[in-house]
Amino acid sequence: MTEFQDSTWKNLLNNFEIGLTKAVEELQKRDVDNIPGAKEALIQRLNNMKLHFPKNEGEIFVKSIDDKIQNSFFPNTKEFVEAFAKILKSRTHEQDFIINELLNGFVTSKAKAIASGTQGPIIDRMVEAFSKRNDFHIVDYQFFAMFGDPNKPRHYVKKQLEELINMFGLISKELVVEKDVRRSEEKIYTFYTFPDEIIKILEEKYLIIDEELGYAYVSESFDRNVFICMFLANIAVNRDNIEKIGGAYTINGISAIFALILLLSFMPKLSVDETSPILNDPNFDKENMSIIPKSWMMKQVLEPLFEPLIKIIAYRLGGGLWFSKVIDSEINKKIHDQIRFLIKDVNKWILGQLCRVEIPIFIEISNIFTEILVGYQEE
Amino acid sequence: MSYKKKSTRTIKPGRKREKWTDIFPRYLTFISHMRPILRETRRIISDLDADLLLDTEILDKIRQEEEKRNIRKVRALSEFSAMYRSNVYEIIKDFIIKYREKIPIIDIKDYIIEFLYESVNALNVLRHITNPDEINLQETYLFILVKFIEEKLFPKGANLKIIYEKLLQHSHEFYECQRHLLQPHTFYREKLESSDFFEIPGMSPRVYQIINNITSLFNLDPNFGEFPEQENYEIPMILKNDVFSPYIDSIANPEEEAIDKLAERIGLRIIDGIFLAPQEDFVDILLANNFLRENKQSDGTIRMYPQFSNETLILYYLAFASQRRGFLSKELINWIAMNFAFLIYMGILKWKLSDENICYSIFKDLQTNEKVLPYLMKLVCFPNYLGLDKMKIRDSVQYRKEIFNFIGSEIDNLKDFIEEIAGFCEKFDKERKNK
Repeated sequence: MTEFQDSTWKNLLNNFEIGLTKAVEELQKRDVDNIPGAKEALIQRLNNMKLHFPKNEGEIFVKSIDDKIQNSFFPNTKEFVEAFAKILKSRTHEQDFIINELLNGFVTSKAKAIASGTQGPIIDRMVEAFSKRNDFHIVDYQFFAMFGDPNKPRHYVKKQLEELINMFGLISKELVVEKDVRRSEEKIYTFYTFPDEIIKILEEKYLIIDEELGYAYVSESFDRNVFICMFLANIAVNRDNIEKIGGAYTINGISAIFALILLLSFMPKLSVDETSPILNDPNFDKENMSIIPKSWMMKQVLEPLFEPLIKIIAYRLGGGLWFSKVIDSEINKKIHDQIRFLIKDVNKWILGQLCRVEIPIFIEISNIFTEILVGYQEE
Repeated sequence: MSYKKKSTRTIKPGRKREKWTDIFPRYLTFISHMRPILRETRRIISDLDADLLLDTEILDKIRQEEEKRNIRKVRALSEFSAMYRSNVYEIIKDFIIKYREKIPIIDIKDYIIEFLYESVNALNVLRHITNPDEINLQETYLFILVKFIEEKLFPKGANLKIIYEKLLQHSHEFYECQRHLLQPHTFYREKLESSDFFEIPGMSPRVYQIINNITSLFNLDPNFGEFPEQENYEIPMILKNDVFSPYIDSIANPEEEAIDKLAERIGLRIIDGIFLAPQEDFVDILLANNFLRENKQSDGTIRMYPQFSNETLILYYLAFASQRRGFLSKELINWIAMNFAFLIYMGILKWKLSDENICYSIFKDLQTNEKVLPYLMKLVCFPNYLGLDKMKIRDSVQYRKEIFNFIGSEIDNLKDFIEEIAGFCEKFDKERKNK
């Protein structure tokens, strides 16, 4: 438990507590919720958080971040394969939206992003390129033929391909043909594929190996999110190399998105009058969705909560190195502000109410809180 | 003697063949070459003793013999036929090798015949999707399928309100498809503010994010101001600066500069130079659909509270684009036409082919797609169908590549819609036969 006794961690917990107090004060001033009892439920939840979160050296945070968030999206390991396997395993249709938002977070956080506007569609093209072959490889020439523009020099495509290969951690193999059929000259083909260990993981669901025919082709489940999982795994294992993962922007972007997930998970469910139009809205799915108070998203309320929470996340994910990059600069504040409205497909607006789609990560984190709460009450 | 090849084109250079009677035969060209190949292959397999199928070399020999019979004079066609035939035989061979130890060869033969039979049927529908003279238009697959998809994703209507409500009616099932239709993957070629004042581009990821921010800000923290067109009424407004303040490094500058145009596309307007508020017409639509709630204030004014859903503004954009479909950007037209063509093509395949049909991969092959879909894209643009500017459908090989590679990124909701289209085809076919 020595790690929890350091002063930084204690300060972070204290700051979060102060943030909660400020948020409650702001909430008392205004009410944007129009569901009776919503504001009160939120205040009660924030007070409960204030009471229980600092206990046991921030046990709730440790369990939620270290066990749940890291396990699903950002595994704490140096092994690329292990990280990839964990992220891939936690995929569900809805959690894919979060994984996508993580990537979009980078697109919006940086002008020159790792995955910029034009590269986004290229990920789709890579999916298509892999789907077109039955050996689970892509060849540089195939890539140029599929995506190259005759009006532009080839090095543009070549550069894009190289960036993507590095970003996803693909491996390359060269094949030298002594005499090419067309020109009778030596020609080098470069094949790209996934590392062998990754292929083994993909075999379970995404890759069909036909040993009899010697084919390996992708299944219908193989999609862009497989690449995005590779991208996340790559960042997760290289978290100590700030240069490699894209610097302070990446750290602020990732930490802010996880902070948003954490806050979303802790929001209380509201019950509405049975005559409420939202219950009859075809987009509202009673089984999988719950209405949560929207006032926590108000800038005045979210800001005091978000800042310390982002630092808590950064500290747990990347220790002092990451923590030092989450400074209260204007730019960082803007990045955090952008992320406020992300995760829009699992955090839907329906007739002016904020509805949370109950996906595994939210349920797991909220269960941690409930269990600990019940434990204390029993004591 | 000049060796310069003389052009066989009789039309003026620079003008494309864009009449129905030009495009429809082009659409048919490759389909009418695929069908005989599959029929011949089915006949050959059917006549062949099942035990002979065990020896795959026999299939190779048959294929070689068949290739010799090739009498096509046009190089592109003979190349395509050879490629197509060789794909069909390869797939059959693979199927035999894969299952010969597990399934009796006689059953394998039956399966192959059945798969080929289904594929010929699918090609039959594709071949008779419409007719050269567009006779009995309402009875053709092309017409009814375009209308079926159009009604759900890109409806026509006398006014924006009607279009919006049609979209809303189907949004709980197909909102993701509706949204997808607005998001061309070639968005990076688009300009938000085109020199052509009326042009409507698609929605880039950043524009989508901005619209999402606007929705959230309206729900969370709106200001209220006088409704310019109606006394004693107040409408919700948000500060334009609040929408753009989070962006750094001028990354949202183009969007900020084009905010007037962007706002118009989502039913909003700029008031006093700093506020974003709903336009007069949109207020009616919002009230009718419970996206605005009226509340009488103590001073007698009626304040309209926003209660937007995720789709509120996006569907307006789509309705706006649908109503002004004559002004869509080149990228958006290509994207919409491609999605329609793809849905029609895949819907017919889903209807006719069983899920395990080995020929699916040939139909979904890029080489097959690029022979069928570009012409189908143009056909769906004709006035009786979508009524889009077909001259904007690009013909370059490069561009086709770019568009069709995005088929690989089809979303789950599109797959659900394809299922529904297949069911609709089945129903339509039954009704037609019962007449």
